[in-house]
Amino acid sequence: MEYAPANTTPPAAPVIGTPQQLRFTGTGASYFGIWIVNLLLTIVTLGIYSAWAKVRRLQYFYRHTELAGTGFDFHGSPKRILLGRIIAFVMLVAYNMSVRLHSIWTLVVILVLAAILPWLLRNSLRFRLYNTSWRGTRFHFRGSVGGAYRVFLLNGFLSFITLYLMVPFAHQRLKAYQHDNSFFGQTRFSFHARPGQFYLIYLMMLAGFLAFGIVLAMAGIGGAFKPLLLAQQHGGRIDPKAMLKAVAIIYGALILISVIIGPVIHALLTNLIWSNTRLGEHRIECHMSPLQLMWVTVSNLVLVVVTCGLFIPWAMVRMTRLHVESISITPASDLQEFADTPAEDLGAVGAETATVFDFDIAL
Amino acid sequence: MVQASYFDGQSTRVREVVLSIVDSDLVVTGEDVNVRLPFAQVQVDERLGRASRRLRLPDGTFCEVRDLEQLDALLQAAGHRDGWVDRMQRHLQLVLVSCVVFVLVVAAAYKWGLPIAAEVGARHLPPALSQALTTQTLRVLDGTWLKESKISAERQAALTWQFHALRLPDGGTPNSELLFRRSRQLGSNAFTLPDGTIILLDDLVKSMKDDRQIVAVLSHELGHAYAHHSLQLLLQSSAVGAFLTLYVGDISALLAAAPAAIVQAKYSQKLEQEADDYGAALMIKNGMSPALLADALRTILASHPEASKEGYLSSHPSTDARMKHLRELAAAPH
Repeated sequence: MEYAPANTTPPAAPVIGTPQQLRFTGTGASYFGIWIVNLLLTIVTLGIYSAWAKVRRLQYFYRHTELAGTGFDFHGSPKRILLGRIIAFVMLVAYNMSVRLHSIWTLVVILVLAAILPWLLRNSLRFRLYNTSWRGTRFHFRGSVGGAYRVFLLNGFLSFITLYLMVPFAHQRLKAYQHDNSFFGQTRFSFHARPGQFYLIYLMMLAGFLAFGIVLAMAGIGGAFKPLLLAQQHGGRIDPKAMLKAVAIIYGALILISVIIGPVIHALLTNLIWSNTRLGEHRIECHMSPLQLMWVTVSNLVLVVVTCGLFIPWAMVRMTRLHVESISITPASDLQEFADTPAEDLGAVGAETATVFDFDIAL
Repeated sequence: MVQASYFDGQSTRVREVVLSIVDSDLVVTGEDVNVRLPFAQVQVDERLGRASRRLRLPDGTFCEVRDLEQLDALLQAAGHRDGWVDRMQRHLQLVLVSCVVFVLVVAAAYKWGLPIAAEVGARHLPPALSQALTTQTLRVLDGTWLKESKISAERQAALTWQFHALRLPDGGTPNSELLFRRSRQLGSNAFTLPDGTIILLDDLVKSMKDDRQIVAVLSHELGHAYAHHSLQLLLQSSAVGAFLTLYVGDISALLAAAPAAIVQAKYSQKLEQEADDYGAALMIKNGMSPALLADALRTILASHPEASKEGYLSSHPSTDARMKHLRELAAAPH
C-alpha cells in the first residue's frame, strides 16, 4: 500500500533566516488501508474502537507533517479519548432530548452546557496541544479559565446582542487567546493580527453573500418559494413538488456557498491568522491560495459523492497537504534550542466534547 | 546497523546515532550517546504509511528511524512482531477484504440490524418520553398546521365510540386517544403521534362515504401505534445520522446531513405495510373486510390530485400495490 519513495536522508540543520516550508508526506493510498481497517473495527465494535481509530488518524497526519526533516507526533491515549467521548455522548443525548421536549428542562440543559462549555473548550485546547510534539518537545496551552469564559461566553453574547457586528472582533480575541497562550516547550507563541484586519475579511464575506443573493434573485430562483408563501398565508394545500424544489434549491445554495465563498474566506482568514503568529523570535508565514482551496474542496466533494465515500482518504490527504504546505517558518536560530517543561496529566473530556458538539476551533 | 536520530526528550536537539541488536539488547551509539538496554523494554511505534518510526526508551528518550525497511530487518532480528491491526492496515489483500466486509456489514445493519434494533428500542423507551414528545409535537402542530375540528360533537362522539368498541387482534381494546382536527394543508388524512394518539382530520371524515372506511383508516393507524412506528423512525433516523457523521463528517457536515432524509423514505414504506397488515388483521377480527381500507385509500388518493403516485404519498409504497395487497387479504379465507 505504499508507493512513495523512502526519504532516508537525516534531518539537516535549517539555514537561519531562510523560510522552512512545512512538508506533508502522506499519500491517499497508504492512508486508505488505515482508514478502512479502523472504520470497520469502529463499526463492528459499535463505535468503541473509534477512540483508537482517532489516535491512529491523528498520528498518521501528524507524523507525515514535517518541519526541517522531522515529523510531528500525537501522544493522546485512546482510553482517555474514549472516556471523553462517552461523557460527550451523554451530554449530546441530554441536549438533543431537551431541545425536542421544549420544556423548562430545555432551558436548564442549555444553561448548564453554556456554563461548562468554555471550560471544556479550554481543556480541549490543553489536551490537543499537550499531546502534540516535535522532536520530543511538547506544545502547551496555558490560557486561563477566566479568559475562556471571556472569549467563548461573554464575546459570544456580545456578538449576539450587537446583531453580530462584533463577530470579527470576537474572532480576533479568540485567536489572540489561543495563540498568545500557546507554547512550544518553554517558548511562547504570540499573535499580532488586529481586529481591523478581521473586519476587512468579514466585509468581503458579506459582499460575497450579497453578490450570491443577487445572482440567485436574477436567476428567478425566488419564484420557487412563492407557492409555499402563498400556502402559508392563505391556507390551501402545499404542492409537494414545489416543496421538494424549494428544499433542493436551499440545499444547492448551501453547497455552492460552502464550495465557493467558504474556501475563499477560510483561506484569507487562515493566512491572516498564521502570518501574524510568531513562535518566540521565529516568524511564521501562511500563503494558502483561495483558488487552490476552492478547487480541492469542489473536486473532493464531487469525487467523494461519485465514489460513495471511497475517495475520503485521498480527500483528507489532499486537504491536509494544501493546509500544511502553505505554512513556512523562518527560523531565527537552528531550531535546536527549544527546551521542554515537566509532564502534565490531562483528560480528553474537553477535547471530545468540543468535537461532538461540532465546535471547530482549529482555524 | 540502522541510521537514526536520537532525541533526549528535554530539547529539540538532534543527535545522529546508529542502532544495532546485540544479544537481544538494543545498542544506540553516536554523538554523546551510548545506550544499551534489553529490547523488551523498548516500545516500538506502529508503522503508519511512510512516516518515520520511533523506538521509545523507558527514560523518555527516543530514536527516530526514516529507513523503514532497514528498521524492519532490525526488528526481525530483535524478535519484535508488529500488532495485528498494524499488519492488517498495510496488507493489500486484508485491506481489500476489510473494504468488502465493511460494505457488507453496513448493508446488513441497514437492512436487518437497524429495523430490529429500532423496534426493540422503541418498545423499551420510557412511556414518559413518548408522552412528552407527543405533547410537544401536538403543541407545535396546533399552532401551525392544525385547527379546531368543525365536525359536530355528536358525530365525534359516535366515531370515538366506534373506535373504542374495536377489538384488537390480541384481544384488548384501543388505549390510544382519538383527536379531531382540521387542516387545509394536510387535507384528507390521519396520523399517529409517538405515544399512540391518533389525529383524524375533518376532510377525511367528510370524504368517506361509509363510517366503516373511517374505522378502516383508524385500524391502520392503530397498527402504527401498536408497533411504536414514530419512535422507530426517530431512532432509525438518529442512527443513520450518526453513521453518516462518522463516515463523511470529516469531509463535509453538509454531505453528512443530506442523505438521511432520502434513506428515511424506505423505512417508512416498510412501516406502512406493517400498519396495513395489522389493520387488516384487526378488521377481520371485528368482522370487517380489509377491502374497506383499500377503498379508503382510493378515496384519499382521489382527494389528493396533486399527489398521484409519488409526491405526498412517496413515503408510502405505491398505493396501487397496497390496495392490491389488501384486496388479496380480503379474498383469502380466514
